[in-house]
Amino acid sequence: MPDESRLDQLREEAWQKGAVTGRGVDIAGGPIPRKLATASPSGGGPGYYGQPVVKPPVWTWEIPVYFFVGGFGGMSAVIALAAAIFHHVDLVHTAMWVAAIAAILSPLLLILDLGRPHLFINMLRVFKPQSAMSMGAWILTGFGACVVPGLIALELHVHQVFGGTVDQLLRVAAGVLMFGSAFFGMLLATYTGVLIGATAIPAWFLHRTLLPIHFGTAGLGSAAALLELLGHRIAALNFIGFYAAGIETVLLIWLSLDKHGAADRAIHEHRSGWLIRIGEIFNGPLALILRFFGLVPFAAISFLIGALVSRFGWIAVGKVSGSDPESVFAAERY
Amino acid sequence: MPGLGTSFGRGGATTAQQDLANADCILIEGSSMAEAHPVGFRWVMKAKERGATIIHVDPRFSRTSALADIWVPLRAGTDIAFLGGLVRHLIENNLFFREYVVPYTNASCILSDEYRDPEGNGDGYFSGWNEEKRAYEGDSWLYKGGDLSRPERDLTLQHPQCVFQKLKRHFSRYTPEMVEKICGIPPELFHKVADALVAASGPKKTAAVCYAVGWTQHSKGVQIIRAAAILQLLLGNIGRPGGGILALRGHASIQGSTDIPTLYDILPGYLTMPHKGDQTLQQYLDTYTKKTGLWSGYPKYMVSTLKAYYGKRATAKNDFGYSWLPKLTGNHSFFEFLYDMLDGKMEGMFLMGQNPAVGAPNSRLQRKALSKLKWLVVRDMVEIESANFWRESPEIDRGELKAEDIETEVFFFPAAGHAEKEGAFTNTQRLLQWREKAVDPPGDCRSEAWFMHQLALRLIAKAKASDDSIDEPLRALDWWYPEDELGDPKTEAVLTEINGWYTDPVAGVGDSSGNESVVFGIDREGNPHHGKQVNGFAELKADGSTASGCWIYSGVLGRDGVNKANSRKSKDYLGHGWGFAWPGDRRIIYNRASARPDGSPWSERKKLVWWDWDSDKWTGIDVPGFVKGKPPDFEPEVGAEGLDAIPGDAPFTLHEDGLGWLFVPKGLQDGPLPTHFEPLESPVSNELYSHNTNPPEHWIGTRHRAMQSFHLC
Amino acid sequence: MIGEGTKSTNQRRHSYVQEHVEVGFFTDPTVCIGCKACEVACKEWNHVPDDGFVWSGNSYDNTGHLGASTWRHVMFVEQDRQKGNQIVGSHSLGNGDGEDPFRWIFLSDVCKHCEDAGCLEACPTGAIVRTEVGSVLVQNDVCNGCGYCVVSCPFGVIDRRPKPLPDAGGAFKCTFCYDRQKSGLVPACAKVCPTESIVFGRLDDLRARATHRVQELHEHGYDDAQLYDPRETSVGGIHAFFLILGEPEAYGLPPKPQVPTIYLKSAWTAAFATAIAAIIATLLAFAFFS
Ligand SMILES: Nc1nc2c(c(=O)[nH]1)N[C@H]1C(S)=C(S)[C@@H](COP(=O)(O)OP(=O)(O)OC[C@H]3O[C@@H](n4cnc5c(=O)[nH]c(N)nc54)[C@H](O)[C@@H]3O)O[C@H]1N2
Ligand SMILES: Nc1nc2c(c(=O)[nH]1)N[C@H]1C(S)=C(S)[C@@H](COP(=O)(O)OP(=O)(O)OC[C@H]3O[C@@H](n4cnc5c(=O)[nH]c(N)nc54)[C@H](O)[C@@H]3O)O[C@H]1N2
Ligand code: SF4
Ligand code: SF4
Ligand code: SF4
Ligand code: SF4
Ligand code: SF4
Ligand SMILES: [Mo]
Repeated sequence: MPDESRLDQLREEAWQKGAVTGRGVDIAGGPIPRKLATASPSGGGPGYYGQPVVKPPVWTWEIPVYFFVGGFGGMSAVIALAAAIFHHVDLVHTAMWVAAIAAILSPLLLILDLGRPHLFINMLRVFKPQSAMSMGAWILTGFGACVVPGLIALELHVHQVFGGTVDQLLRVAAGVLMFGSAFFGMLLATYTGVLIGATAIPAWFLHRTLLPIHFGTAGLGSAAALLELLGHRIAALNFIGFYAAGIETVLLIWLSLDKHGAADRAIHEHRSGWLIRIGEIFNGPLALILRFFGLVPFAAISFLIGALVSRFGWIAVGKVSGSDPESVFAAERY
Repeated sequence: MPGLGTSFGRGGATTAQQDLANADCILIEGSSMAEAHPVGFRWVMKAKERGATIIHVDPRFSRTSALADIWVPLRAGTDIAFLGGLVRHLIENNLFFREYVVPYTNASCILSDEYRDPEGNGDGYFSGWNEEKRAYEGDSWLYKGGDLSRPERDLTLQHPQCVFQKLKRHFSRYTPEMVEKICGIPPELFHKVADALVAASGPKKTAAVCYAVGWTQHSKGVQIIRAAAILQLLLGNIGRPGGGILALRGHASIQGSTDIPTLYDILPGYLTMPHKGDQTLQQYLDTYTKKTGLWSGYPKYMVSTLKAYYGKRATAKNDFGYSWLPKLTGNHSFFEFLYDMLDGKMEGMFLMGQNPAVGAPNSRLQRKALSKLKWLVVRDMVEIESANFWRESPEIDRGELKAEDIETEVFFFPAAGHAEKEGAFTNTQRLLQWREKAVDPPGDCRSEAWFMHQLALRLIAKAKASDDSIDEPLRALDWWYPEDELGDPKTEAVLTEINGWYTDPVAGVGDSSGNESVVFGIDREGNPHHGKQVNGFAELKADGSTASGCWIYSGVLGRDGVNKANSRKSKDYLGHGWGFAWPGDRRIIYNRASARPDGSPWSERKKLVWWDWDSDKWTGIDVPGFVKGKPPDFEPEVGAEGLDAIPGDAPFTLHEDGLGWLFVPKGLQDGPLPTHFEPLESPVSNELYSHNTNPPEHWIGTRHRAMQSFHLC
Repeated sequence: MIGEGTKSTNQRRHSYVQEHVEVGFFTDPTVCIGCKACEVACKEWNHVPDDGFVWSGNSYDNTGHLGASTWRHVMFVEQDRQKGNQIVGSHSLGNGDGEDPFRWIFLSDVCKHCEDAGCLEACPTGAIVRTEVGSVLVQNDVCNGCGYCVVSCPFGVIDRRPKPLPDAGGAFKCTFCYDRQKSGLVPACAKVCPTESIVFGRLDDLRARATHRVQELHEHGYDDAQLYDPRETSVGGIHAFFLILGEPEAYGLPPKPQVPTIYLKSAWTAAFATAIAAIIATLLAFAFFS
């Protein structure tokens, strides 16, 4: 019983000197934990006992998956439009299917994450340009409203279900809706960067320009990779693959150069830092090299893994950064 | 509270919490006021915002210390040495408020030649020590000549036998260096406190002292409070706004439960419980009545109390039923009856709103004692440890007690909470506040009043059915209280009785008659029960024509029929118009001292009560605590009695001499002046005397007093 | 004169809601006694659920921080510095016996009801609104629990209430006792505060009072007393502002809080640029490689 003997020591000391110096005794089974030993103005941890200054995100796995799905879905619609312009009919078909599935999955994921899923429709009560979440809701709505009927129109047209003027109208409608899908799709893939960039979380807002670039590009690359894996091994997609992986490589370099000390250490340290790094390596340099050596399917898989992992990484970064009082202090003094 | 009572006359806080806001310095010692009295502490903070210095003297650094300007850590149990040091500092450096001290305290009174203090040859003993009885015989402590009413005085304070010189000598060794040795307070810190107090003394400034269980729960609590009283008298802080001593009471209505006592040795209004020797009423009254001062009215208060107890059956012929009162045969304080319980001398007990199995000292002993009872009635809102000790307690767990061996039959009654019953609380500043019932109690829960009332009715009925003479006191009780729908007695009817009335019933009146001066005038049989209300204790008589359940509360429900405890419109900062403060709605007692001897205020800033030469009466913000028309220059006639014997410049009218007692010539067992002794359990030897502990403090005395003060917290 | 200046401001009835007067809280730690009555009153009045009894070991603070079920939070800051001219024990007399000075500060934290509120701007459902008295209110029947306000509050105030607490899933924070205010009552926390450490009142009055108090404290040796009311940042001031001793960091308060909407411009620019770059890249890919 080391504590008991320390108690005796303390008694002895009190008796001899009338005062006690040094450490006391941890009461076994006592309810009060010992204070952290970290030196700081308030004794335990930076700031106020190391308590977070801002609140970390409450979001769970649905949100990073949604970012991923929305990313490749949105950009699929872009690819579909380009493919249509350049008459890659099969690709248009697959890309629209991918976009449509994403358009259905995305809101489901979003709703799943809500604290009160039954009230999801309240998102459409207001239109609020200053809220990226509100804009996102409308973008997603617009995307769904274009992609799903667009796909239906496309299918009806392709399969020549109707003839004559109806078919002509369907063709026009499919074209217009695909145009719309591409429009909303590119916003869908990029707005998520704005969503987390324009918050109070230091590691996020410090990278508010990088985030949309990363999310959008990763979306584009993922869409291309997915379509390649679905059998469309064409040079155009390969080029997009190069483009996306190239940009991601640049972003990796940017991220590793653009350090803000304690403010964004969540990106460079901890598990969150590893997630970001692994993600960026997979969809940046690794995908690039694999593609360079013509290992297209591997490059595609690598990119997709990277894109997914880095989305999880960014949410993890938000949680770490949001819980770290010093990151807020550093960001604001910065 | 003998500490305050012997120093000033009344055992209550001398001031109101609100008044702390007017202090220029507040000394909090023996209380963690911010933590245990947060709402009262509001006024301390107000004072601080207005520039007052807050001092906290406490072994622990608590939230109170965090808010204080000066925190003085001292070794527990050494308060007398510290306060004594301050007293010495004031005297030696001539820093006391002489203009106040000379006329208003007994500093100038000449003591008997036999008086010897513990200094020098006394070595810790005052004169009068009887080694055989191990107790003091206090006659040598009286003023010269033995008469407390007309002391011989030396207003120059030079006479070698005068209180001032004795005080000076008594504390002469309590130097800052001695304070450092005993309390562990370095001289610089001591001087910080002394300077702050001195700076807040005089005609324009005042300082207040607050204390609570850090003093009262010491065996020598009374003497610590005495030391504070001496300090405050020397600084001229009693009876003045922003001054005073605020005893912080603990539980709700603890003040109330000493005023109308739950203590075994006093009757309502601090009348003494008759002892075995006090055979007849006359004998009793002769013993406790004082010739001069307010206590000269003792027979009026006592007879009115008896009339309240026994109604018509109390007559001059039968000593107003005095013989029916139980007489004390010994010490029946908390610990004494605990031992009786352990010894199987006590059969049963009622526990109402107390949980000794966890709250009282040595809870193991408590629980073991409970297990020796035949029956135990517990009234509480939840099944507390004192009710289920027989099946769930550490003793049962350890196998020290076995449920099957315990014969105690426990009756558990569900109690109504405070929102579920009406009645009054008397708070720390002697303020009665009435509370209405918010909701009916759920199910079978009932108030304490209901329980006592129903129990009384049943016991009285049983007594009436018997002819045993031991049941006579029960048969004699005047149990007249009307009931409400739940069977609760109407508590306002109880309050009318506490206030008091003329006993002659007025025919044909009741509360509906329109004669408002007779309140609840009808008894349980529908007959007229009593006459009009009295308007205050001044109207009480010793001839049986008045009754009052607690003379000091008289005035709370007077002839206007208004329950003043229930008034809720305060007119001034002292809160007049909100509740009722005893005595006579005075918020700061002894407030005659807030004026100079000539009747004018000490200063414009500290104006409270003064003599108005135009109308020839005392007037002011507070209710004057003095005979209204007695001019400041009033000189009593030789041989005058009662209040007529009190001069116009003597504010402490409960004392025979009307003075504040720096030195207590009568009323204390362990010495007329506080003296530093180590606490019983102290491992340290006494720096001042060769005895470590106070001579009369043999251990029974100690636990008696410790428990007594426990009841008062 | 005796009794002067003892009148309470927290007990008055008012009709600020009807009169559309901007109101706020001024919280003064130099008179706070750390009694937590404000925390308790807030829970009681607003039926905020109990969120567990946990010993933190951090001074007397067992609540930790503001959150969905803690709308008032009393902080217990321990520092190795002197509080004004305060003397705590002999060592603060400067007799150099090697002991460190220390001070213990209590401060009751609450939602700041920002002039430009991150939570309100971010809310996609319009659940968060500004009231007639200038406070920021979450309408709980509208909130769908998206959690966006949580990351948009620069003060870390609002939070989503986790299961299994009652009303879980919604975002909660101080309502400024809007219900009480509508009936002319003072918010529960201010009403019970025994020392008026929390003062409720008209914003303009409070700001004047606060400035005066800081001056007063400076005169009394509290050199590091300052107001925490970030008016020069994009938040534009807060309606529940504080007097603090020392730096905001020690209280877990952000030194230069910004409302996140200021980041929108650069983020959206990057988003549009990326989108357009993606379109161009895709078109180029098909144009040159098909
Ligand atoms: N929060 C809360 N408030 C309460 C109660 C409660 O249970 N909780 N209970 C109520 C009751 S019943 C009571 S009696 C009161 C008690 O009210 P207080 O007496 O104000 O409360 P305590 O914290 O017991 O304070 C006693 C202080 O005396 C100090 N002390 C101990 N020994 C000595 C000594 O020898 N000298 C000096 N100078 N100081 C000493 C202790 O360190 C402690 O700070 O509180 C009432 N208020
Ligand atoms: N270690 C330690 N022990 C202490 C103290 C200390 O400081 N330290 N302080 C001491 C002091 S100062 C005190 S006052 C005592 C307090 O000791 P207790 O008085 O025994 O303690 P409480 O638990 O406050 O109150 C007893 C019961 O009253 C019940 N009650 C409340 N309202 C009502 C009512 O209207 N009717 C009825 N019938 N019951 C009611 C409550 O439910 C509770 O169970 O503890 C003492 N013990
Ligand atoms: S009596 Fe009640 S309101 Fe007053 S301080 Fe104590 S707990 Fe608080
Ligand atoms: S402090 Fe946070 S929760 Fe409160 S109004 Fe400001 S942004 Fe909203
Ligand atoms: S959680 Fe509720 S209050 Fe917060 S932003 Fe979402 S909908 Fe608005
Ligand atoms: S204003 Fe009302 S809701 Fe806000 S902290 Fe105070 S009591 Fe709670
Ligand atoms: S109620 Fe007032 S004094 Fe008590 S902790 Fe809250 S702010 Fe401080
Ligand atoms: Mo107590």
